Formats: sequence, structure tokens, C-alpha cells
Amino acid sequence: MSDLTLFTTSLRDLVRPKKMLTLVLLLLLSTGVAALWRYNTAGYGPEKSVEIYNSLATLMIYSFLLVLLTITFGTSIISTETEQKTIVYLLTRPVPRWRILLTKFAAVVLVTTVTTYLAIFLLALITYGPSELGNSGLGRDLEILPIGVLAYGGISLLLAVLLNRPLIFGLLFAFGWETWVPSLPGSFGRLSVMTYLRVLAPHKTAAEIAAEAAAAANPFAAAPDVITHPMAWTVLAATIAVSVLAALVVFSTREYVPREDAA
Amino acid sequence: MTATNVTPPQLPPMPLPGAAPHVNDNVTPYGAGMITLERASRWYKQVIGVNDVSCRIGPGITALLGPNGAGKSTMLKMITGQLRPTTGRVHVFGMPPFANPKVYRKLGYCPEIESNYPDMTGREFVTMLAAMAGLPSATLKARVDETIALVGMSHACDRKMDGYSKGMRQRIKVAQGIVHDPEVLILDEPFNGLDPVGRREMQNVLNAMGNQGKCVVISSHILYEVEQMTRNILLMSNGRLMAQGDIYHIRSLIDSHPHHIRIATTDPRGLAKRLLDLPYVLSVRLDQMEATSVEIETRAPELFYAQFPDLILEHGLVVSSFESPDNNLEAVFKYLVNG
Repeated sequence: MSDLTLFTTSLRDLVRPKKMLTLVLLLLLSTGVAALWRYNTAGYGPEKSVEIYNSLATLMIYSFLLVLLTITFGTSIISTETEQKTIVYLLTRPVPRWRILLTKFAAVVLVTTVTTYLAIFLLALITYGPSELGNSGLGRDLEILPIGVLAYGGISLLLAVLLNRPLIFGLLFAFGWETWVPSLPGSFGRLSVMTYLRVLAPHKTAAEIAAEAAAAANPFAAAPDVITHPMAWTVLAATIAVSVLAALVVFSTREYVPREDAA
Repeated sequence: MTATNVTPPQLPPMPLPGAAPHVNDNVTPYGAGMITLERASRWYKQVIGVNDVSCRIGPGITALLGPNGAGKSTMLKMITGQLRPTTGRVHVFGMPPFANPKVYRKLGYCPEIESNYPDMTGREFVTMLAAMAGLPSATLKARVDETIALVGMSHACDRKMDGYSKGMRQRIKVAQGIVHDPEVLILDEPFNGLDPVGRREMQNVLNAMGNQGKCVVISSHILYEVEQMTRNILLMSNGRLMAQGDIYHIRSLIDSHPHHIRIATTDPRGLAKRLLDLPYVLSVRLDQMEATSVEIETRAPELFYAQFPDLILEHGLVVSSFESPDNNLEAVFKYLVNG
């Protein structure tokens, strides 16, 4: 009963009119770009649909919408309660702290997953059209997106319980670390969550496929750093488990008192 | 013999010399208590919030008093398990309260903070926290309605809390604190923002809880309101517990400060003359403004209270009232805090 009440309350807070408007605008952004691109390439073959879908799925959905929503909502789980000083009410109820955190995290995961699902579905619908949806990569993305939400959500959760201003660090991580590290040479890419998500949901463009083929044909090129699917699954699962468990432990043992009220 | 009309003092007399000091079981360093602090201290980096406090708090209402920055809120935060003591121990029902659901099942807390969930109605707020407190769904709604009615918020409970007045927020905060019928209720400045009627209503609610044997701890700076509710105090200053126990007993222990007693009479000069004959009366002052009262200073108030009825009967004096301004919380507070 208490978990359900907290879950619905958290859910309702996440879809408040202002936040809902932001979600809709973000959805319309990716959908609008897809529609515009599709309109400008009308008459091209199905390979154009693949290119549009893969490019926008990578850029707009995985690297932008998924990361932005998860980091924003995830890092606000505790900071919102602390800033509006309502955390006192939650922490003085007979509910274990880990359950409070996990329930609020579940609400964030649900809202973010549903939003990214809608975004990827609309993207696939516009680029492929209703009749070709089955031939798109939609099914694979519907499988991988929640994993991305959980991975970034777990990291956000850990930042939320550790830091006073987790959003700033979360955005630096999302749009700094996660943007540049995968592009670094050698094995640095293995330090990024996005690298593993891209292994599971490649979304390769024609140019990328051609570059890979050229590199494979070059006997003097360094051996590519290959990450297998099982390895990607393992690393992502470990990231989720470690970050969420660490967040639960920290939240259960740390003092959370609204700052102005601390002394 | 002149008819004598003696109005009883506003506050009960102090104990007679030799009598066992009356220390209420509610607040005592060594008695049984629902809340126990043992040499508890709490530091905020280099600043000490609570300094080596030991006490036990049992059933009934206890007032936690002290000026701003005295450490009251820190102490309440330790009792409610929001903060851990840096050194020493804090126990509620024998258990450390920090993040302890077993303690929170029996504990209600009304914080001083103003903030609420602005998009929620008062009913939703109380319902959410009642559900989190473990109230069964079958009785949840009825209990929430009952509690909201008890704090006088039935008329506004379906409005968003964003539009609540300070007094309304205060009432709904108290409602969430008592909705699960806790054994221990901690209230940080519960009368802030309440109008006189609201204060009276809130006092009645809290008095009822105290009379039921629940442990009610009220932190307040509005001394006269607390005084109307309880004689049991914890007085803090600079993080230290300056005094604890029955207010009158505490006052009686402050020998360095003469007690003031004001007596209203039809013959202030006659009364003053008789009073000056008493060896334990240090001074007598006639009230120039009213010309109907006399104020004395004495270091033996118990003796004075014992002998005063005989004195007025013997000399046929008419006394309409007498009171001791020293016996209120504010006076004791000033003596202990300011020295």
C-alpha cells in the first residue's frame, strides 16, 4: 500500500503539466526532425529510411532524449525532495529508505521508458511508414532502450544520493563524458555506457559500415576493439546492479536534512 | 473580622521546605522514558549543535524550550532519526531511531519547515503519509477524514496546499503527524502561524494526546502557550540542557534570584507595613500606577505561601489576588539563559 501510494505520487509528480509539456516538446523535436528529413528525401529507396532511422535513433533518441530524461529525472529524485524540504516527511515514515528510493526510481524508469518508446515508435513510423515497421530496427530498440534507461538511471540515482547538486554533474557526465569518451582511440570507449548500448543497438550508417570495411581490409590498421554482445550485456547489467545497489546503501545510511534547516 | 477574598495564585505553590522535591516523571535524567538521550552530542563540523545532553522523556507533554540556535531542532532531529548523534546515544523505545522503521511506526513528527507538496491537496498529503505509515487501506480514508476534522481542516482539505495560509499548512502538518496515532509525537514550533482560536484548538488536540499517555514533545518559543499545556520542560541554551523537569521545582532551585510575588489588595499600604515585618521579605514595592497592589521580594517563597493566609486573616486585610510573575516559564527561562 505504502509503496503503491509513493509510486503513484512520484509518477504524478513526474508528469505534472510543466514537465509533461517538456516531454511532449522533446518528443515533437525528434519526430519533427524525422518528418522534415523524410519529406526532403521523398522518393528515395528503403536504404534512405534506414539511414534516417539509424542516424536519428542514435543522435536524437539514444544520445539525447534517453540520456537527458534519465539524467534529469534520475538526479532529481532526492534533490527535489530536499530542496522543497519534504524529504523529512518521507524519511520519518516506517518505510525502509531503500524502498522509498527504489519506488521513486521505478517511477522515473517507467516515465522515461514510455517517453523514449513513444519517441522511437514515432521515429520508426515516420521513416519507414506503417507497412514497413516490421522491417525496421524498432523491435531491437524497444528491447535495448529500457536497458539504457536503467543504466543511466542507476548512475543518476547514485549521483542523486551522493551529491548536493547532482544535475550539474549528471549533465556533465551525459553530454561530456558520454559524448567524448566513445570517440577516443584505443579502449577508452569501454569506459562509456553508450559504447555498450551501441554494441547492442548499432544503428550504423552506410558511412560507418564502409569505414569499418575499409579498416578491416587494411592489413596495417590496428585490430579493432571488439566488444561482443555478451560482454556488453554483462557490463550494462553490472553497471545497473552496482550503481543501484550503491545508491540504496548510501541512501539508507546517509543523513538527509534540508540545507537551510540543518543547523 | 473583615471578609477576606483570597484568589488562589495563578500557579500552584512551591513545595514546602523539607518536603520531597517534586520532579515529574515525565522528564527526569534517570527515570523510565520513551525517549532517552545519553550524553548525546552533535557537531556540525566545528560547530556544536547539541552538547552532552542526557535526559529521558516519558508520557505526557514536555516542552522543549530555548532561544534560537539553542539546539532544539538538532535535538528533535536526533530523536526523529534524521541525524545521528556524533557522540553519545539517542534511543526511542530502546532503539536507535536513525532510519529505523520500527521506531517510525510509533513516532509522529511535525517539522518546523513550511514547505509541502504544492500540487497536492491537504487530503492527498495526509493520505500519502498515512499510507506510508502503514495504515490499512480499509480504514485509511476514515482515519484521514477523522484526523483532518480533528485539526479543523475539513473545509479546505481538498484544496491544493499551494494556496494554504500559514495556519492551514500548520494544521495539515499536525494532521500528518498524528494520523497514524503515534505513541510519541514530536512537534517543532507547532503554533507558528496559528491564530488564537487555532492555537487553542491545537492545544486541546495535543492535551488530549498527552492525557492518553502518549509522549508529546513540543518545541516552542511561545512560552505562555506552552505554559498552559505543561509544567514539564527541557530548557536548552547553546546546545546544552540547562534544566529539565517540573518548572516550579526548577524555579525553587534557583536560590540566587529572589522570588517576586504581586498581591492585589484594597489596602496596599497596610499590607506593605505588615509584610515588612516578616524577616524573609527582602523588599516591598507599592505599585504607583494602580495603587492597589504590592510587590514583594523574598528568598523563601514556600514559607511566605504558608504564612500569608494567616497574616491576612489576622489583620483583616482584603486580598483580591496574588501571583508570582517569577513562576512563569519566561522568568525561569530568563534566569537560566541570561543568568
